[in-house]
Amino acid sequence: MAPLTGCDLFDRDDQPAPPPDPLRPMVDESLGLAAAHRASATAHPELADRLGPIAEAHTAHATELARVIGVAVPSTPVAAPSTTPAADPAGALAALRDLEKVGQRTATAACAAAPAERAALLGSIAAARATHQEALK
Amino acid sequence: MRQPSAAEALATALSAEYAAIYAYGRIGVRLTGAARDTARQAEAAHRRRRDALVVQLSTGGGTVPPDRAGYALPFPVTDRASALRLAVEVEERTAAHWRAALASTTGADRDQALAALVEYAVRATRWRKTAGVTPPTVAFPGRPT
Repeated sequence: MAPLTGCDLFDRDDQPAPPPDPLRPMVDESLGLAAAHRASATAHPELADRLGPIAEAHTAHATELARVIGVAVPSTPVAAPSTTPAADPAGALAALRDLEKVGQRTATAACAAAPAERAALLGSIAAARATHQEALK
Repeated sequence: MRQPSAAEALATALSAEYAAIYAYGRIGVRLTGAARDTARQAEAAHRRRRDALVVQLSTGGGTVPPDRAGYALPFPVTDRASALRLAVEVEERTAAHWRAALASTTGADRDQALAALVEYAVRATRWRKTAGVTPPTVAFPGRPT
């Protein structure tokens, strides 16, 4: 007689969902950073040339992260992490630098913890966020 | 493709550091003022990483690749503009070697590889700003294009 196991009894219809990928929050983080740059570019059109390429880089990161973890890039717009851009351009740049700094820390920790096949991508994202701080000076 | 071992990846990074130091010798003489000082600091950073790698590889029983008398530059350095262009290129190329080392390393070695990738990517961005290149950033620093 075949042994009766817990799996047979209880788990046939409702398999437990696999744990979410640890990189999943970074997709949203990247989209949030892109949104923050776009919001500041809208508020301060004179910064648009500087902020546009950085927003595009964050969107490219989100796309690549989503591809690696096998999910679709969320189509609903992600809100910018900060509420409204500062009224003065210098303040807006400083706020973006702070966001990039926090983002660099996230990517650095993710790179340290990542399996080999993800380490290079996460390293590039950490480095990109560091270069953004330099570009926003 | 087989993943290189940590020692192999670090040996490749060391060869890139040798080439970077050589290139900065050619870059520095074409620059003046603040840019020349920046080039000197960048060269010193590459020398520090070279020295650390030589120690790390030789104490770890790894192979230390030899330095060469000269390295082929991707284009002639004849003036300030070409010197700045080469400085960007040098930082991006060395960044790419450290990026490649990330997959082969773990723990402290990976932290060290990431620190180098970040530092060189930021330097490349500073050189682009000095040269007036826009945008001064790339989406995936160190990624082969």
